[in-house]
Amino acid sequence: MLLKITLVLFIFFICFQLLYILYPLYAVNKTNKGTRLKREKGISVVIPAYNEEAIILNCLQGIINLNYNNYEIIFVNDGSQDKTLQILNDQLDLRPTFKKLPAVKIPHQEIKDIYHSELFPKIYLIDKVNGGKADALNAGIEYAAKEIVVTLDADSILDPDSLSAINSSFEDKNIIAAGGLVQIQQGFRGSILKPRPTFKLRGLVRYQIIQYLTSFYLHKFTQAKLNSITVIAGAFGAFRKQALFDANGYRKTVGEDMDITLKIHKLMKTNNRYKKGKLTFIPQAICYTQCPETFKDLYNQRIRWQKAFIDCILHFKKSLFRHLGFSASFFLIFDSFLLGTLSAFPTILIPITLLIYINGYMVAAALFTVAIFLAIYQGIVMVIVGARFGMNYSGRQLLKVLLFIPFEAITYRLLGLLFVTTGTILYFKNKNSWYVSKRIKHSQQPTVSKISLNKNTI
Amino acid sequence: MLRNHLFNIFFTLIFFGLFSLIISFYYDDVSRALYDPAIFPTDKSFDLQACQSWRDDTRQFVVSNENKAKQITVLMYHRVIPEDQLNDTHVQANGDLFSTIILKSEFDEQMQILQDAGYTTLTLKELELFIQGNLDVPERSIVLTFDDGFKDNAIEAAPVLRDHGFTAANFVITGAVNMYDSAYKPGEYQYFSVDDLHNTCDVFEFESHTYNFHKRMEDNTPYLIGKPDKLVQEDLEASIVNLDGNTQAFASPYGAFDKENIQLFKQLDFNMAFTVIPGTVKQGTDIYQVPRKEVLANERIQDFKEKIGLQDGDT
Ligand SMILES: [Zn+2]
Repeated sequence: MLLKITLVLFIFFICFQLLYILYPLYAVNKTNKGTRLKREKGISVVIPAYNEEAIILNCLQGIINLNYNNYEIIFVNDGSQDKTLQILNDQLDLRPTFKKLPAVKIPHQEIKDIYHSELFPKIYLIDKVNGGKADALNAGIEYAAKEIVVTLDADSILDPDSLSAINSSFEDKNIIAAGGLVQIQQGFRGSILKPRPTFKLRGLVRYQIIQYLTSFYLHKFTQAKLNSITVIAGAFGAFRKQALFDANGYRKTVGEDMDITLKIHKLMKTNNRYKKGKLTFIPQAICYTQCPETFKDLYNQRIRWQKAFIDCILHFKKSLFRHLGFSASFFLIFDSFLLGTLSAFPTILIPITLLIYINGYMVAAALFTVAIFLAIYQGIVMVIVGARFGMNYSGRQLLKVLLFIPFEAITYRLLGLLFVTTGTILYFKNKNSWYVSKRIKHSQQPTVSKISLNKNTI
Repeated sequence: MLRNHLFNIFFTLIFFGLFSLIISFYYDDVSRALYDPAIFPTDKSFDLQACQSWRDDTRQFVVSNENKAKQITVLMYHRVIPEDQLNDTHVQANGDLFSTIILKSEFDEQMQILQDAGYTTLTLKELELFIQGNLDVPERSIVLTFDDGFKDNAIEAAPVLRDHGFTAANFVITGAVNMYDSAYKPGEYQYFSVDDLHNTCDVFEFESHTYNFHKRMEDNTPYLIGKPDKLVQEDLEASIVNLDGNTQAFASPYGAFDKENIQLFKQLDFNMAFTVIPGTVKQGTDIYQVPRKEVLANERIQDFKEKIGLQDGDT
């Protein structure tokens, strides 16, 4: 019986993997660099910041290099106890302003002051009482003046062309929200205007690069086609501001990014105005984020993600199919929950059960071979699709990537099982103690003094 | 663009090629693991026709009138187990071996006796013709039969038979046959696998011992007598399907049958049916109640010889 369940789950797994391998391969058939429109829609970039003194200037660096005009930046200082505010003030010459007015639609913690940069007139800063990331985002949306809101993590750097890619994509009136491509900063060398991908990195970072690329180029790309994106990553997402208001803003949870995505799915299903709405993925809208470099940091991040995921699943479980579209519900249940979380538990048990069940070792070998085979092929397709989107590894680096893919599939990938199982167990174990959102401390912290706000440097 | 397109197709073809290679490599192992060994499907056959054709090659024996057999003994065996493999499961509460268990050394000895005495083993077809008076057979003719279809028949008995140039009939509970082979465990009630049937079809002719009716009702009545005729018929029909349509002979479990059963054997075109009532077979014996003598556990050589009608001093 256990064996049958395992095999059925495995067949589901194969189907999803085939979809993720074949669809992007055929859909991204030509080199696709995106188009640039003349008319620029207004974009407000909201950046919640809580104790970000070490990295906030990286983020600022990206903003200064943007190839776009019709935008504003809203930093939201969520009651940082460190020098975040001071560092920004030093760089931006912040002055209190009374011209910025709230929409008064979503409640949030009290605002202490609103500042306007004297040096960069497109940049604002909201200084508020601490309330968590969701609360900071809500405050940012309240004061956003433009029609499109981009949410960005303070440790992420926008690619110069990212906003124009969003602009082109939102030309389609039905697009309500979109996720950008989150690249791992450590995987690039050179200036932000001409970043070159590299793979000369630690295994743990390589693992995350493969994972991000697979997740965005293959999974999100395919899900977008089926209108079933279930998470627009908090690191970099774009929304029509009105939709955020209609969804009543962000919910206070660790997984506020998944939560808002599902809320938008709910809008599409329940609100007539959003009936034809779409969520999409914009591979040309790129931001660079730093990934954890030590196991401990990675562990903490992934446990947080898993807890966030379980929290969202539980929160939306009654809405599935009823208030969420079929496709999104289906992917949520089968791909994310059943294959991603639930099957991780038996996967750990399989080797044990198969050892007990004498004739089962060949079945275990079969599952193993197929999984590795699919992982390798998926990796290769990822490289091909990436290249068609302009992410070209040079010869030697490419060889490193290709050699790493099969190795990763049987080593690092198993870490996922650990994160998913412990994250789920810890969620239920201490349900109430986790919701305080903590930033990951980066082990490789850039020194503040080295960063100068000049164009063309990273 | 076109180049990419061709590349995609090429890539996909290689992908599915390799993928189906992997699938086909593991297909047997996986379906085997999924297979429920409880019972052989009713609609599948053992596919034995080709290697069982010898059973229809009736020999013409050149025998003088004095040397013609007037009566023939049919021996019945169940299990053959090597001495060093015996364990608690083979022994009754009083410490004796179950009567159905013959030691391999004893079996070897018995076959040696038969060979030394110049016995010929007859096929069931030949026995049928003898009963009908249509075939003369040598005086020292014998028919060997095994009941139930235990795996030890294939592992232990078949090689001995082959060494002595003998053949035997094997009455198989066809539903108990395993689709997939598994390791031989003489300590368990283990039945033939399809592989076992194929590996021994040169010495055994396989016949029906029901599909899944080798059972008793709660009041101990054997299924063949206790169950409605229609169900008995369906059961026997399934066994015939498993045996590639072979209806040469039938042996009732526990030797139990009634008039309706005999009617059914005829209706299903069985040529003959065997009992467990001891006796010798003569011309004109009821072809649907052929007697058999069971060889018992720990049988003395003297008793065995007596069973087959071999006088001391005869060789
Ligand atoms: Zn029997």
